Amino acid sequence: MSDQHEAPLASALHEEESAPPIPENSAGFLPIETNWFDRLFISVVIWIALSLFWFRFLEPAGLSIWISNAIALVVAFIIIRKG
Amino acid sequence: MQSKRLGWILLAPTLVILFFFGVLPFIYVVYVSFHQWNPFAVNPEMVFNGADNFRQIVFDPAFLKSVGVTVMFVIFAVLSELILGYVLAQAFMRDFPGKAIFRTIHTLPLIMAPIIVGSVWKLMTTPSIGIIPHFLDEWFGITMNIGTSAPAAFATVVIMDIWHWTPLVTLTLIAALVSLPPDPFEQAQIDGANKRQIFWHITLPMIAPAVVATVFIRLMDALRTVDEVWMLTGGGPGSATRFVGVHIFKEVFPKTNYGYGSTISVIVLYLTIVACWLLYVTMLAPRSKKD
Repeated sequence: MSDQHEAPLASALHEEESAPPIPENSAGFLPIETNWFDRLFISVVIWIALSLFWFRFLEPAGLSIWISNAIALVVAFIIIRKG
Repeated sequence: MQSKRLGWILLAPTLVILFFFGVLPFIYVVYVSFHQWNPFAVNPEMVFNGADNFRQIVFDPAFLKSVGVTVMFVIFAVLSELILGYVLAQAFMRDFPGKAIFRTIHTLPLIMAPIIVGSVWKLMTTPSIGIIPHFLDEWFGITMNIGTSAPAAFATVVIMDIWHWTPLVTLTLIAALVSLPPDPFEQAQIDGANKRQIFWHITLPMIAPAVVATVFIRLMDALRTVDEVWMLTGGGPGSATRFVGVHIFKEVFPKTNYGYGSTISVIVLYLTIVACWLLYVTMLAPRSKKD
């Protein structure tokens, strides 16, 4: 009697165990749950926005675009590691 | 393992088509955006010019104006379609005489090609022969000429878009409303909730994924509108309806400036992705639990 009741539970447990593990999402300083690809995406979005801002306002003042790229790289590193 | 392989086999045709018709053209456009390229010039070769096209775009007043006009168009059109679509979806959830016929007629604009919609609206708004200027003049004494009045042209384009695409919003919202379980609504009514409370606290949160998906589709479509507007106003008068899609068309085809046109396309794609992502984050993304 008890075996009959436990059988479906056992098979469900087995299915759960064999299912691929869900990637762990981070709870860093970003206000939303993210995985590493989300954080990479956010970094690319910021990099492009910063580059366009730099072209418009700071490059005419003599600041090279490479400074913007370096800042974007640092920001990307921080977001991907701690975001 | 077997089911995993079967899954990949079933997905393969879609992935192959997506790669050749989606990913490859995108990579090619990004590649071209870093070049100066006019295939019909004396020198038809692609010349790599680094990020010069991107430097040019942030100072291009025509492009910046077109982005502003497009954003205004998207806000007015998509918001109106969403509100009107929801009202119509709620109306279609009730029974009334002639509902089936009305629903069929209401869905008809969806099956029309945008270029046909543009030409029909052109006929309807041409001052000497159009039905709209005729009745506006006869009933209200208003002279309407979308060839000379920028606000009239812009408003007409927005109304045309609403007329064309509201049925899509209605259909998706009907599907969302039909799938809602009745229990929460009955419980809320028993607890004495009024219609406004039920809408804000039950209906809207439950249909939010469908609303966001619909707004995604409409947002992406509205940001790349070309054919309807090209047919109706040609981007005029002046630059009143020169949306980014029309701007790209004018840059690429009449001017044959393929490199710069690709740059604008990449930036518009960037803006579209960012807008959709922000919408997703504000409406649906799970909040991080830090405490």
